[in-house]
Amino acid sequence: MQLPRLQALIWPAVAVGQLFCTAAAMAERIEPNEWLSRMGAAVQTTSYEGTVIRIEDGKAEALKVVHTMSDGVIRERVVAQEGNGIEIIRNGNEVHCILPDRQSVLVEEWDDQSTLFSTLPTSEVRFGSEYDVSIVREERVAGRQTILIAIRPHDGYRYGHRIWLDTETAFPLQTQLISEDGMALEQVKFADISLNKTIEASALAPSYSTENFRWLTQPSRHNSHALETEWASTEMPQGFEAVSTHGEIMPGSEAVVTHIMYSDGLASVSVFVAPADSSVSEGPSRVAGSNSYSVVIDGHRVTAVGEVPAKTVEQIATTMTRL
Amino acid sequence: MNDAIRMQISAFVDGELPDAEADLLLRRMSQDADLRKQAAEFLEIGRAMRGEPGVPGVERLQERVSAALNDRPMAADEVLPELPAERSIRPLVGVAVAASVALLAIVGLQFSPGLDGTDAAAPAGAVAEVAEDTTYVVPPRPVDDQLRQYVMSHGASASELGGNSMNARLVTLRLSEEALAKEESEDEAAEEEAADPMPTQQ
Repeated sequence: MQLPRLQALIWPAVAVGQLFCTAAAMAERIEPNEWLSRMGAAVQTTSYEGTVIRIEDGKAEALKVVHTMSDGVIRERVVAQEGNGIEIIRNGNEVHCILPDRQSVLVEEWDDQSTLFSTLPTSEVRFGSEYDVSIVREERVAGRQTILIAIRPHDGYRYGHRIWLDTETAFPLQTQLISEDGMALEQVKFADISLNKTIEASALAPSYSTENFRWLTQPSRHNSHALETEWASTEMPQGFEAVSTHGEIMPGSEAVVTHIMYSDGLASVSVFVAPADSSVSEGPSRVAGSNSYSVVIDGHRVTAVGEVPAKTVEQIATTMTRL
Repeated sequence: MNDAIRMQISAFVDGELPDAEADLLLRRMSQDADLRKQAAEFLEIGRAMRGEPGVPGVERLQERVSAALNDRPMAADEVLPELPAERSIRPLVGVAVAASVALLAIVGLQFSPGLDGTDAAAPAGAVAEVAEDTTYVVPPRPVDDQLRQYVMSHGASASELGGNSMNARLVTLRLSEEALAKEESEDEAAEEEAADPMPTQQ
């Protein structure tokens, strides 16, 4: 077929497609950002019980989850249905991670209010100008009607997100982290869910008697103090800004490591500046969905870590300098 | 091909590209074989992930495009469940997306080398400047203790910002478990060494 003839067929069809999309958008009464705001409230206030499928690096695992909040106290229980059957029991800020095959309980303090399905930062700087947010279509997830929200980055320095929100409650029933190639890097999806049901106390109790288990208290994640630093990147990818800087003492070490947290409002990257004799391997690494890059600069070991593309942590780490 | 155009194509294939951008992208695709090839790859990946054989429903999509162009009703088996009045226009979104995907398929089929033996070379300047592609995938390798601590610290801080708590917390727990297993293994080795400080000579 000759090109002009093909174009003659294409452009009317494009115009028709645009007409339909525009009309549909006009019919959509709730703006994408309003959906996300509703989601933020829903994850805090909705009680639920269900089965979650989590997929990462091609591996899938099923988890039973229960969540409720009363009198401002979050209570959650997560039970792995496969493998070693770990359980996470949260009662307010205290979290017990039960490892049945090791007859151990790890005790942690979580002093934040984020819940299992927070999904997105609550920061006021959320998104900045580095992403587009749009409503894509309606679909069914876990037997419920959802609306698919796409958060698409403007460049390859951060990942995209797809979030399927329950149209009735705005609760996120499925989330995907999308690579620059359009692949789902991580996926969390409810296979079934009961929303806003009364949660019995027994549903939040551990499956195991932990009386004879070994109880180990994790070092506080706040074994740190805020500080000012002279370290900064000279070529920070657009939109990333430092949101906190702490001096941290890592377990098994006495040296203070400077931890600078950068965020573009959605993606976050940590930069750790340690003495050069630190044992982190040079160059790129990938750990459980996060990319990292480590390099020695000015007598210090600089390591960038984050759920961002490999080139992002590399650019940040290699352009850090003492100002 | 730069990241921005690749993500545009990905979004287009998923029906997520805003109208104005989709229009521009279609124009570019009609003149650039690489863009069409990239779109075909994304379609192929999606099809493989869904376990679908062959080109998915191109004929039906073409029918939908024809239906949209001729303003005639879709076939009976394509009629969607009735929706509340204020949302009655929603099925048209499907037609619009289908139209876009069908157009992509048509453009791809028409211009694919091997089908008609020709390839439309992109006219000079037809496509935005192409940046060097620096995207890469890091192969797995053993994780040292210090890096594990960094990932855990980052996960905890990211959770406090409120994002991706489910993944951050499970990852942190798994890394804690790994560290615990390593510690136990080292304790056992130390106990064995204390019990038998001199290795047996063969």
